[in-house]
Amino acid sequence: MKMPAGMDIARLYDEHAQPLHAFLLNLTRDEADTRDLLQELFVKLARSPHLLDGIREERAFLIRLAHNAAIDLIRRRGTRDKTRENFATEMISPFAPTNDPDEKVFRENLAAALGELPEEQRAVVHLKLWEGLTFEEIAAALEIPPNTAASRYRYGLDKLRGRLRPLYEEIK
Amino acid sequence: MKTDDFESRLQSQPLRPIPPDWRAEILAAARNTQPMPRALRPAPQAWLVTINHQLSTFFWPHPKAWAGLAAVWILILAMNFSMHDSSPRLAVKSAPPSPEVIVELKKQQRMFAELVGSAEAPDADRRKIFLPRPRSEHCEILAT
Repeated sequence: MKMPAGMDIARLYDEHAQPLHAFLLNLTRDEADTRDLLQELFVKLARSPHLLDGIREERAFLIRLAHNAAIDLIRRRGTRDKTRENFATEMISPFAPTNDPDEKVFRENLAAALGELPEEQRAVVHLKLWEGLTFEEIAAALEIPPNTAASRYRYGLDKLRGRLRPLYEEIK
Repeated sequence: MKTDDFESRLQSQPLRPIPPDWRAEILAAARNTQPMPRALRPAPQAWLVTINHQLSTFFWPHPKAWAGLAAVWILILAMNFSMHDSSPRLAVKSAPPSPEVIVELKKQQRMFAELVGSAEAPDADRRKIFLPRPRSEHCEILAT
């Protein structure tokens, strides 16, 4: 066993891998990229066991690492895969599949609408809605001011509301 | 911020679960990684890697533009060197002429003066006939 006693990589995985996976999948919209980023993150933790020394909020710290890695990946994609942003509907959805037809349509539209959001708004919306983080926690995780986090959330949510309102009203 | 119905509806959407087989693969990859000792992290030769990384980060956005700019500068430098005047800018100090050359030159000068018919006397004679003019304050003394 090469891991030091202080770093239980399996515990970290069991506690944080699922939310990190959802967050990365929402940002990258690519399962292979998400897997690579997740593995890269845990390998980094294993290589630098002291990375978590003095960290009080493991989740926020890991989200920051994941976000930075995802941003690097998205930039590396650059113009080469720029069109993928425009075809977000064709990419993998971050939501669980369902057999309910109404829910299926709603999730597909929600996934597409999220894919149309700028990455910085998408990250904040995801962390607020599906991680339940406060704006202060989001700000700490993404290294932005809390007011910026709040305004990004509002802009993102308004766009989602505008995009999904007809469908939402219909199936409500 | 109060959560409205729309936000609640969004929040209720379940996220895609992580594939179960990833756990073993990712943990195996992590466990096979040799932890980097704290003392070795800033390696002595790490500055080269750091500089390389910094440069890559700096030049990353438009590598072709930077390469083009570098090529233009190389072209300008090459043209500058090719058009450079290789002749020395300062005259090389020549050795003093020998006495024979001086005599010959004086002879030629004299012959030239005779041919031209100049009334100008040679230097040696000119020095003899030269009388310095008195300064203004000595004019009276000289007049008496």
